[in-house]
Amino acid sequence: MRHSRPTTRIALVAAIASTGLVLAACGGGVNEAAQEPAAEAPAAEAPAAEEPAAEAPAEEAPAEEPAAAAPAECGEWGIAMHPWVGYTASAQVITNVAQSALGCTIEQAQLDEAGVTYDAIEAGSTDVVIEDWGGGRWQEWVDRGAVQEVGNNGNVGLIGMYVPQWMCDEYPDISDAANLNKYAELFVTPESGGKGAWYEGPPGYTTIGEKMIEANKFDFKAINTGSEQALIDVLTKGSEEKTPVIAYFYEPQNFLAKVPLCRVNFPANDWTDAAEASGLTDYPKTELKKLASTELMESGSPFATLVQNFSWTNEDQNQVALDIESGTSPEEAAQKWIDANMDTVNGWLEGTGASM
Amino acid sequence: MSAPVLEEAPAPPAPRERWSLHRVFSSKASWVLVVLAVWIILGSILSGIHTLTLATAAQSPFTSWLTEVASAIRGNRTESVAFVYFFNPVRGGIEGFIEVIRSVIAVPGAGDVIPVIGWLGVIAIVGFVVFATSNWRTSLLCMALLFACGALGVWSDTMDTLAMTLGSVALSLAIGLPLGIWAGLSDRALAVMRPALDLAQILPTLVYLAPLALVFLIGVASATIATMVYSIPICVRLTSHAIRELRGSGALEAARSMGSTRWQMLRKVELPMAKRTIILGVNQTTLAALSFVVIAALIAAPGLGKPIVTALTIRNVGDGVVAGLAVVFLAIMLDRATTAAVVRSDTILSDEGRVRRRIALAVAAVAAVAAIILSRQVLWAAVFPPALVIGEPVGAAADAATEWFTSTFSWLTTGVAEFLTVWVLNPLESLLVNSPWWLTVVAISLIGLLIGGRVVGVVTVVLLTAIVVIGLWSDAMATFAQVLMATAFTMIVGVVLGVLAGRSAKVERALKPILDAGQTLPAFVYLVPVLALFGPTRFAAIVCGVFYAAPVVVRVVADGVRGVSSDMVESATAQGSSSWQIIRKVQLPASSKSLMLAVNQGLIFVLAVVVIGGLVGGGGLGYLVLVGQSKPELAGKGLAAGLAIVLLGVVLDRIAQSSARRRS
Repeated sequence: MRHSRPTTRIALVAAIASTGLVLAACGGGVNEAAQEPAAEAPAAEAPAAEEPAAEAPAEEAPAEEPAAAAPAECGEWGIAMHPWVGYTASAQVITNVAQSALGCTIEQAQLDEAGVTYDAIEAGSTDVVIEDWGGGRWQEWVDRGAVQEVGNNGNVGLIGMYVPQWMCDEYPDISDAANLNKYAELFVTPESGGKGAWYEGPPGYTTIGEKMIEANKFDFKAINTGSEQALIDVLTKGSEEKTPVIAYFYEPQNFLAKVPLCRVNFPANDWTDAAEASGLTDYPKTELKKLASTELMESGSPFATLVQNFSWTNEDQNQVALDIESGTSPEEAAQKWIDANMDTVNGWLEGTGASM
Repeated sequence: MSAPVLEEAPAPPAPRERWSLHRVFSSKASWVLVVLAVWIILGSILSGIHTLTLATAAQSPFTSWLTEVASAIRGNRTESVAFVYFFNPVRGGIEGFIEVIRSVIAVPGAGDVIPVIGWLGVIAIVGFVVFATSNWRTSLLCMALLFACGALGVWSDTMDTLAMTLGSVALSLAIGLPLGIWAGLSDRALAVMRPALDLAQILPTLVYLAPLALVFLIGVASATIATMVYSIPICVRLTSHAIRELRGSGALEAARSMGSTRWQMLRKVELPMAKRTIILGVNQTTLAALSFVVIAALIAAPGLGKPIVTALTIRNVGDGVVAGLAVVFLAIMLDRATTAAVVRSDTILSDEGRVRRRIALAVAAVAAVAAIILSRQVLWAAVFPPALVIGEPVGAAADAATEWFTSTFSWLTTGVAEFLTVWVLNPLESLLVNSPWWLTVVAISLIGLLIGGRVVGVVTVVLLTAIVVIGLWSDAMATFAQVLMATAFTMIVGVVLGVLAGRSAKVERALKPILDAGQTLPAFVYLVPVLALFGPTRFAAIVCGVFYAAPVVVRVVADGVRGVSSDMVESATAQGSSSWQIIRKVQLPASSKSLMLAVNQGLIFVLAVVVIGGLVGGGGLGYLVLVGQSKPELAGKGLAAGLAIVLLGVVLDRIAQSSARRRS
């Protein structure tokens, strides 16, 4: 009989569980109260109804009133969250506006840039990329009709090689790439095999460091740092402890406002596709792009209009990013900027019939 | 056991073993040393020739072919027959299954505030189920742990993770248990499954994420399937082991002689007797699934992985630690719940006890149902009360502690890292990377031949040549150097702690939570502090590997040391041997099989986080996997790098396993 006991136990468990579920399904007091418009459930008590995916819904409680006024049904959409702070700033601002002004349900999904994200858009699991740096790497997905280019987002990206400001003060000619070899020895670490350590950008970023080193015959070795985090650590340390360091970095990035860096200049850029770069010239200035799913753009949702209209400056993004980095939650940092820039935001909402 | 025997050889069953060890050292080891010496001398003379280096953005013929294949697969997802009739329905089915579970405990329906069941209801159900399958003490512990997850402020992410874990465990068991029973009963079935099982075990998780996402797209389905690939082999292995262990036992003979049919024997004798080990398999499957659910955040699966990945990108150690803690709590909860069920399945109650328990169960059931109803009717029982949430101060404290630790010790860690890099890692890497490829292939294969025999030698030649053909030789060797060094460190840490834990139950108890945490804490949580302490270096990648692999090695070593017969230890003590002598002369030699198993496990676990190492400056194959994931034009290179990691893993596994077999 040994085996019969667990069987009855399992049966018992199953019975209780299903009874519980049935009973529970009959009366969902909390949910029903929430569905009765505004009357019984005060806004602060039932924030999750508005955005089930958001982690910190409480802050967005004031969102409720305009939502009721939204003229066209917005629907449920996703936005890809790429792993850098500037991106988080842009994405959070547009998320806040979409939720509070248009009453959209926006699901943020942590996704690496490019391929992974385009695949996710094609699969229907996310809809918007608010800042894409790659000039046209999405073409394959556009050709298949999954992804659409929605124009520039107003930010201008500028990649480059940087040294801490104190190095330019001490060795004024180091800002000219032609003189780099003169100083290569300063940059030697145990990692770089007797040559200078040249810290390259993270995996997804546009990088041509290896080409630059080869074409210019630099006595440097490219170190693949693997994450933006690593670059920031390296440059912070180089500035604070006055250790020589040369690293890949880019604008817009609020970090540049905190730690003074000095750009190492190459001859003016003459390429857009990294695959065709000679390595002799500098990185290009890139107008950063917005991408969206065809599904969203053809849905007629006011969110599509918002994405279409969204545009702001590098300075705007840095303000929000700085707040996020100093510990404010992305939601609060974004809301702070929105409250201070109502005109800009209302400009984005033109054509949706809604306003803040 | 008489004393004189001990004087000649401290461990009575060990003499043969020591003698064979000795023989290995006198003949084979010296040959291995000769090969090494020739390799080092020739390598330094020919350094820099035929190294097959390939720039990060450059492709080999094989990798550009793979890039085209990947692009073709993406293009075909909506049209090709395989997708329309197989992959897409499978994806839909799995997604639907997981979504049902999520909608019950994790995600509110459209316009709802809470899922079907609020937090109090979930805790009550868990409490009741654990009480019913084990005992009230474990049940209380589990409820407390779940409550703590809520208090950390990550209730809904915790529920997402729990839902995904339960869903993938259910699917894994549904496939793994029958396969395991089949493999347990039939030698032929096992022989067919074994290569797949071996491969799945050494397949680093982050490596098959990309190909899976290519076929099943980003999201819940891919994440679940990836989890299953990881946990099913564990389930099959332990289940078949459980059934095989019964072979030749009296009970089976008795049942057979009584004329039981095969089915009767399985149902009435083998399964009940193997139950204990099978539940252990369920336990391991569950923990494997949980540890994977976090990694799955990389392909946009919901759950606790999300805040952890975000925390990394916005430099917020605190949030990552909070979510990481919730993962650890869930792991402890699931582990205790399933292990307590093992103990429970062994206890037999008296009649009176049984009645008392029935009553207790009935009371608990009523309470659970009441809690479920309450959790749907009353707001405080539905949505976790914000007043009880202490996540923020916990996060801030973790932030401050990390800040203090890294700023106080980074001079020390940087110093140690630089010393070891210059004196150990650089020479090792230089030997592997800068020697001509053919010299390295021959040298490693000869070592494989000497340690593992002819088959291993041949396998090594073939697989290493395959890496050359793939076109990633130089990166593979850079990774190899890091893996070797990380494994060596892991063994040092593992043997010291393992011996301590194996000798003292007190140490073991103290270590257990740390080991649990180490095994389940997602690697992303410690990336930020590791970067702060070591900078983006290969050494940082090695540290990540050691963190990840050490707990397993400690467990295996402790198990081996504990398994040494107490008679042997006692008689050695009676002889007046010191603790150190006992460890060195009795416990370590007698558990040499466990030590070799530990080396094997250490290698495999280190290899599994090679990709993570790419995030902190490790470069090599791990970095290429990451590049391939984010740059479509290099997708094939990433896939090829994943393949090279697997090939490297098979070579190392074969060599380590064969040497373990030879020594036992």
